[in-house]
Amino acid sequence: MTKARMFAVAVAAAAAAVAMITTIPGGGVAMAADPAAAPPLALGASMPMTGESMKGVDGKEVTLASVRGAKGTLVVFTCNACPWAKAWEDRIVALGNDYQKKGIGVIAVNSNDPAKVAEDAYDPMKTRAREKGFAFPYVVDATSGVARAFGASRTPEAFLFDAKGALIYHGTIDDNAQEPDKVKEHYLADALDALASGSTVAVKETKAMGCGIKFRS
Amino acid sequence: MTPRKQSESPGSTPARRAGSAVATAALAALLAGRLVAPAALAATVPATPPPAAGPATTPRLVPADAAGVLRAVRAAGAKAVIVNVWASWCAPCREEFPDILKVGRDLKERGVALVLVSGDFDDSRDDALKFLADHGVEFTTYLKTGNDEVFIDGLAPEWSGVLPATMVFDRTGRLRHFREGKVTYQQLRDLVLDVIDNPAHGPEKETKR
Repeated sequence: MTKARMFAVAVAAAAAAVAMITTIPGGGVAMAADPAAAPPLALGASMPMTGESMKGVDGKEVTLASVRGAKGTLVVFTCNACPWAKAWEDRIVALGNDYQKKGIGVIAVNSNDPAKVAEDAYDPMKTRAREKGFAFPYVVDATSGVARAFGASRTPEAFLFDAKGALIYHGTIDDNAQEPDKVKEHYLADALDALASGSTVAVKETKAMGCGIKFRS
Repeated sequence: MTPRKQSESPGSTPARRAGSAVATAALAALLAGRLVAPAALAATVPATPPPAAGPATTPRLVPADAAGVLRAVRAAGAKAVIVNVWASWCAPCREEFPDILKVGRDLKERGVALVLVSGDFDDSRDDALKFLADHGVEFTTYLKTGNDEVFIDGLAPEWSGVLPATMVFDRTGRLRHFREGKVTYQQLRDLVLDVIDNPAHGPEKETKR
């Protein structure tokens, strides 16, 4: 094999790793960004990787199992750097701090590779949590494996589980990242309210724009 | 994990295509020049005044929701229309941008049009305009407006919302290919050529849920 040929093969392998492709019903293809990522958890699915130890900004190791609340658990994939995560940050912190008192366990998970995004390193995370008053764990997903297991693709992205650990809401925070005073649909707050009060979540899946999670390779 | 297929096109090996992609991408970076809007698209673009204090060549960012973007797609009158959704703060978007422009430029004569949509916030609008100007984009581009979910599902129901996102529509406005995350020159070129070469491929696709 010539050097040029070997290079071409190596490049092809790298290119294949960049893109995952699926068939669109109309005959085209759709591709996802991270080949190692599972599809997003389906509603009703059990919380994965509950025993994975993750370091919090207070220096303590926590697991998803250890933060579970009596009524349920909110897992938010977020980060320091993403403008969408920053836009929603105050609302995420307010909801987390509030519903943690109402029997719902809350955890914010940063799965970004700090080698790709310096602002998502541990020390800036500590600073951010202190400045914003996180009353719940903000942890490092040190292999990005938790995000992959959830099928999380972006920040911020919320997964809400009931007391039995089954997914009852997946999606965004509300319908307006940029202008908090113009929010019409408080998707996550409504889901948290329903969970805390023992009623059924009405809107179970939502989408919003977000930054791609910078997965560790 | 759901099994996923790799895209294949007869007559070109992945190695050859990828190798060529690198060469062309490098060339694209060197030659990053100007892309001219297809006449049909330019003619249908609303007469939006250029941003205040901007030179006449400043690329514009016209607010558009999904319906507006799809109108621009159909109005392009092109055999294939690339829609690329990006943001000035999005690293993979910035990295792929020269390749997106180059595919549009290289295949313009084959009947491809390019519609760029920024997901920037109001406070980063100037960054977006500067980025467009730095890349020699002089044609009208769009700034996403309105509800995110309506926008996402209106363009591509498969889309999670993550940026960048790239779609290839056919001349009727039917979504034929979708990609989220960074795309390479060769990948996008293959998708566009598939639409140009196979205009009647596949059943009509719903673009809304």
